[in-house]
Amino acid sequence: MEEKLTQRSVWEKISNKLSKRSLWMLHYCTGCGAIELPPTMTARFDMERFGISPMVTPRQADILLITGYLSVKTLKRVVLTYEQMQAPKYVVGFGSCTINGGMYWNSYSTMKCLDQYIPVETYIAGCMPRPEAIIASFNDLIAKIDRGEANSWKDYYKNYDFYKANQDRTFEGPIETYNDIKADAAMFNIK
Amino acid sequence: MNTVLWIIFLPIIIFIIGTFMLGYSRKFIARIERRYGPPIQQVFYDIFKLMNKKTNISHGWMHDIAILMLLGGTLLTLYFIPVPGFHFFAQYGDMLVIMYILLIPALGMALGVGETANPNGSIGISRALMMLAGYDIPFFLTFIGMAMLNQTTSMYELINIQQAGGFFGWGLITNPLLGVAALIALQGMLGEKPFEVMVAPHEIATGPMTEMGGKYLGIMMIQHAIAVVVELTIYINLFLGGALNWFEYIIKLFVLFTVLLSVNAVFGRFRTDDAVRFMWKIPLPMAVIGVLFIIF
Repeated sequence: MEEKLTQRSVWEKISNKLSKRSLWMLHYCTGCGAIELPPTMTARFDMERFGISPMVTPRQADILLITGYLSVKTLKRVVLTYEQMQAPKYVVGFGSCTINGGMYWNSYSTMKCLDQYIPVETYIAGCMPRPEAIIASFNDLIAKIDRGEANSWKDYYKNYDFYKANQDRTFEGPIETYNDIKADAAMFNIK
Repeated sequence: MNTVLWIIFLPIIIFIIGTFMLGYSRKFIARIERRYGPPIQQVFYDIFKLMNKKTNISHGWMHDIAILMLLGGTLLTLYFIPVPGFHFFAQYGDMLVIMYILLIPALGMALGVGETANPNGSIGISRALMMLAGYDIPFFLTFIGMAMLNQTTSMYELINIQQAGGFFGWGLITNPLLGVAALIALQGMLGEKPFEVMVAPHEIATGPMTEMGGKYLGIMMIQHAIAVVVELTIYINLFLGGALNWFEYIIKLFVLFTVLLSVNAVFGRFRTDDAVRFMWKIPLPMAVIGVLFIIF
């Protein structure tokens, strides 16, 4: 099974090689950490030289960068945003709050592990991670796409029941998401 | 036979030139902002990635058709404009035809975005049509002025007349008022910076492109790459003496585009009403005076 996942056709290898050069990023910054992004985009660190540029709507974006903690209320918006993005899509968790709750471990209203709710491709540890760390993680992501291993977005289509159960438990009931994930998976033949 | 080959390969050649020009614009603006900037072939990667997306959400059949109408309208305009070596359709359709079919892409975009029912998209479309009223009137007045000056409505004839006069036969030299008015209108037509209200990423989330993802956005980017070359070519044919060979043509395209980009790089964004007011205060009277000079 493991071997089958990593076997790629020639076309997939070429398309991975070219697609990794263009990643558009949607940043979701309701927590802290948004202040680290302007230096990453502008003259000092300039992430556009890797083909990564900020985008403003989920339909156009490839990367969903989630900075800092998420409360139950903002997590709901993250799930809605994530489901509107077009696959292949990559989630990058930024800061220790997305990994294990960070300094909000004891808080009553924030959620702790982001990957319980949506599949996460890469994490950036730190509080706060500096622009160098962001650039390094994007380079990791690019290398991962090149190797054909950045397939976490397929996980959401395949194991939707797991994510849906976690979301429902946190939101205390199902939310209206406008997207039928299982029908989409069947329609676009994702396996 | 030659004509058939041109019909097949012209869009591909123009698309390649257009993507390199868009890549050049990103690099140019990055260097002005003292950044390193993306590689010049970046737009190819972007379009490849968009066309290679695994899921593409459609909002209805009008959404699908209108995107093709957008691309088709631009390709139709491309065929009617004489480029070096190819003016087959230009002898059947003159500048009046180009005036009409230049409006088809905007109409197609309005229909497609209307189907997506996104409020940002609707605002973007209303701004785009508002700007159309701003820049189209001065731009078409310069069409009429050049046609009256040279006693022909054929763009190919116009190029020949200008080439016969040498450098001092260029429209920009013989009629500078019309030339400058059309240059300002061209800035609005391309949606470059002072007149960027239609896209405005920080206000209305890229306006018409809000709901476009995957292949839909990919086709819009292909259309944009072709449209940039088409609109610059119209200006070159009218005012910069056209071009006799592809080398001269590409040089003129890049020089003209650099002039427009330099304005783009240092300006902020006008509000919609300010942009239209500017268009009707400066280029429109210039074009009217230019036409009056020709009449009397």
